[in-house]
Amino acid sequence: MPTAAERKALRGGLQKLNENMVTLAELSELSIRKAVESLAHLDPESSQEVFTLDEEIYALQLEVERTCVDLIALHAPVAGDLRTITTSLKITTDLDRIGRYAKDVAETTLQIRQARPAGLDKVPNLSKMVEQTIEMVDAAVDAFVRRDAESVRNLGEVDDTVDAMHDEIFHDIVNDMKNGSLDVEVGARYILVVRHLERIADHAVNIGERVVYMVTGERVPRVRAADRAKGTNPAWPLGRDS
Amino acid sequence: MTAKMEVRGLSAWYGAKRALDGVTFDVGENSVTAIIGPSGCGKSTLIRCMNRMHELVPKAKVEGQVLLDGKNVYDLDAVAVRRRVGMVFQKANPFPTMSVYDNVAAGLRLNGVRDRDTLDATVEKSLKLAALWDEVKEGVDASGVSLSGGQQQRLCIARALAVEPEVLLMDEPCSALDPIATAKIEDLIFDLKREYTVVIVTHNMQQAARVADMTAFMYLGKLVELNRTRDLFEKPKETLTENYITGRFG
Repeated sequence: MPTAAERKALRGGLQKLNENMVTLAELSELSIRKAVESLAHLDPESSQEVFTLDEEIYALQLEVERTCVDLIALHAPVAGDLRTITTSLKITTDLDRIGRYAKDVAETTLQIRQARPAGLDKVPNLSKMVEQTIEMVDAAVDAFVRRDAESVRNLGEVDDTVDAMHDEIFHDIVNDMKNGSLDVEVGARYILVVRHLERIADHAVNIGERVVYMVTGERVPRVRAADRAKGTNPAWPLGRDS
Repeated sequence: MTAKMEVRGLSAWYGAKRALDGVTFDVGENSVTAIIGPSGCGKSTLIRCMNRMHELVPKAKVEGQVLLDGKNVYDLDAVAVRRRVGMVFQKANPFPTMSVYDNVAAGLRLNGVRDRDTLDATVEKSLKLAALWDEVKEGVDASGVSLSGGQQQRLCIARALAVEPEVLLMDEPCSALDPIATAKIEDLIFDLKREYTVVIVTHNMQQAARVADMTAFMYLGKLVELNRTRDLFEKPKETLTENYITGRFG
């Protein structure tokens, strides 16, 4: 059992970790919003803000990693403390990837702007997918901050709808390009944007699964969308802990 | 995993003071079970009941059952039980007037073994099992207390192993040792489970995490949780366990 002094040091480290994680989550979320804003208005200034945010996210990710390694090396944490630290280590990667996809969207904005001015409205349903994706990231981040496992147990199902939107929008864009109503270069770039959003939603699901583990110790079985739709839900193998 | 020992509703007293309160759990064969908990929670009393040493304390009382291979040890001869269920104590306690050799051979001699070849073979085997042979083989006639603290503790383990127990109970065997000596004992515990069933009481949670297959958490004489070690330290079932191992306790 740790002494009072050891406990105090660990508590301080965990508090610092939590503060950094909350900031990291907020920055990642902000970077998506800014990226989407830049795309909607083809606004280079918003794109630039996303690039700056990406650098901040990376720096904070390194800081979080350092804190986690220090806490493990110096305090040998167990149980809930250990799960918080390992979850933070895993989630930082997801949050960093979200920031990187936001950066990709911002870069695409600049490319679309250069190719031919066109706004978000050119691609039907894209704004709906954007909203759904941001809601998923919101929910995952909020669950992490509030240590609320129950609110994110259904994120996999929400992700199915994002995946369906991705497929639908992809076909719409391809059809528009085929019939000439959408410039091929612009269309191709929108396909990339839609792909980035779909991946962001996947990372939100990862965060949700990690939050469930952090709070309950339970590893969420991953279920294929097709199986979920059929209601059969056979879990993917989880290894020795399953 | 087959249960080597089964503790059933075990309660113990020192006079009027109750030290154990209805403890029930199984000890798997050829496994290491660690018992952790705050001072005074009953860990040492529990293992002393498992080889009938508790009853040696004046005014001590035991209720419940401790089954060894399905038979209640309290229905068997106490000396025979202690031969089958050996004990290693917190402080190394080699017999001070005896050599290394005689310390290890003492139990066998008490059991009537006189044949020199048998004694030689058993002493060497026990010292090897205790990972001490290479360090003392040139000086088995030296006094047992001339060894370092860590070596003395391994000598006591060799002494316990010499009578070929089936279960080895260890009561904080590393608490007085430095990290290197501790590491040697921990390596030894890990190896011993191939042939023996080991129960170790420890204050050091990292030690329990390193050596034990199962870990039991005790509090105020009760068994709060028995769980696979990695589960107990990663996702304990009981809040009380979580509070203790994370230091949120008291």
